[in-house]
Amino acid sequence: MNYVIEAQGLTKRYKSTIAVDNIDLQIPAGRIVGLIGPNGAGKTSALKAILGLATYEGNLSVLGKNPSSDRAALMEDVCFIADVAVLPRWIRVWQLIELTEDIHPKFSREKCLQYLSSTKITLKHKIKQLSKGMVAQLHLAIVMSIDVKLLVLDEPTLGLDILFRKQFYTNLLNDYFDEQRTILITTHQVEEIEHILSDLIFIQDGRIALNSSMEDIQQSYMELMVSHEMAAAARELKPIHERELFGRHIFLFQNASREQLSELGEVRTPGVADLFVAIMHGGES
Amino acid sequence: MNRLMALVRREFWENKGAFRTTPLVIGGIFLAAMVMFLITFNHFDNDFQSLKELLRFIAQQDAGLRAKFLYESNLGMSVIFSMVLAFVVFFYLLGSLYDDRKDRSILFWKSLPASDTMTIASKLLSAMFVAPLIFWVVYVITHIVITLLFSVVIMSLGENPWTLFLSLGNPFKAWSMVLLSYFAQAIWALPLYGWLMLVSAFAPRIPLLFAVLPPVILGVLQLWVDFLKTFTLNDNLFGLFGHWFANSPLVMSVDGNDNDFGAALGIPITSDYDHQVTVANMLDRLFSTDMLIGLAMAVVFLGGTLWLRRRATES
Repeated sequence: MNYVIEAQGLTKRYKSTIAVDNIDLQIPAGRIVGLIGPNGAGKTSALKAILGLATYEGNLSVLGKNPSSDRAALMEDVCFIADVAVLPRWIRVWQLIELTEDIHPKFSREKCLQYLSSTKITLKHKIKQLSKGMVAQLHLAIVMSIDVKLLVLDEPTLGLDILFRKQFYTNLLNDYFDEQRTILITTHQVEEIEHILSDLIFIQDGRIALNSSMEDIQQSYMELMVSHEMAAAARELKPIHERELFGRHIFLFQNASREQLSELGEVRTPGVADLFVAIMHGGES
Repeated sequence: MNRLMALVRREFWENKGAFRTTPLVIGGIFLAAMVMFLITFNHFDNDFQSLKELLRFIAQQDAGLRAKFLYESNLGMSVIFSMVLAFVVFFYLLGSLYDDRKDRSILFWKSLPASDTMTIASKLLSAMFVAPLIFWVVYVITHIVITLLFSVVIMSLGENPWTLFLSLGNPFKAWSMVLLSYFAQAIWALPLYGWLMLVSAFAPRIPLLFAVLPPVILGVLQLWVDFLKTFTLNDNLFGLFGHWFANSPLVMSVDGNDNDFGAALGIPITSDYDHQVTVANMLDRLFSTDMLIGLAMAVVFLGGTLWLRRRATES
């Protein structure tokens, strides 16, 4: 099986801390993977290793290439948006397009102009004249016009308003994603991307706390909401997390029997954000 | 090749102000000064009643003398362009690998399939050839415009510009000498360019400080140690730099003989090189042991630059 990303014992050390701690990871093609973790969990360090932006220990292969030695070659098949608003502020839109066209063999000017036609961005604009949201639109338009196999997005929508964020992911899903491509996303706004993800990876203290497909998660995790009286009975069934909301108790179960739970109260599929909180807390105790 | 050219063009786009506007402004100042001179000539306190009288006087001078004056004034004009060019290239290189780290746009540049080696090469080539070439073109155009302007004024005064001066000097000689000296200088200055790029790739902030302070501190310490030992001031880093500067193949004086230049600055020039502005003398410097040492330094500096650039996104 050919994986898009394959890591064994991936480790990233800074002087005194270990940012990524001996991670094993396989990501096949055609997935949209969310890499979720608290601040400082090692997400960005892992992504930088994958993109050839930082040194690392362990084995790492991205599309069959070694990112630390073949960054330039790798970038023909990988695109990334690392953080919002990193486009050079002095450049004009037409210059940016021409430059990308000259340097990237898989860039399509027609596609890019087509994406831009639905925005307020003109070719004569300088980046510094654009709003933060427009810069993100432009960057996405350029990235989506490049026919690559792997797209990495590191907090691509941070600081943008809700309209831009929605539009950003809608465009990505409708106009870009297909079975041949793989998208790897990190973000703090988990709720906004959970419906587009096919796989979920939680990372905590440099280690993988959860790595599972969304279908598996929906099958194995259940959320149970019960009234105060039933709480003790629910606790008997060994939930992995418990919280209270408006006088009701909400329990999270892993691999529990659905019939048994539904006798106690209302059973739902948990949101990624709730799951995240539960698993992160579990990991700490 | 295509990618490298695209990256070089990127450098031009980013530095249009320094690379193109600056020489144009110098050219404009030359023209303005010329026009101001022509307008106010009669008000000068001089031996001539009018411009026409001056022209008559010039016409009586020896043709060889007039040709020499033309050649030297042409070189002299280039000196202003060359000096400003040196400043432009200095600050361009100092910011070349620093600015994109500061504004984080390095994250975009690194997302393009262009290697770090190619990025560094594009910046070095811009400093060595692109900026000098643009400055040279503007210098030549300025010279042509001033010559035309002068000719028109001379004709309007009823004199013949052709016999007066146009037929005497071949401007191509000075032009090509200046261009060749730019290219020779680009190679001669490689150790400095390498150092500036290294600092640009390394400096966490204020690259100018990191570029200037270490050699100055080292030089002062050298002076001090030398003085303690011998109570004389021997050759040190400052002297080395002075020699490098005074011996550079760049045309730096009006009379086509750069020998006086170092002396004027108090730098005693060793008679290693003949300073007459000729192609042979430029080549002499480029095929010298000094140059070989300089190239070795440049290789070390540029190797360090590449090493740093690869790791520029570490934290």
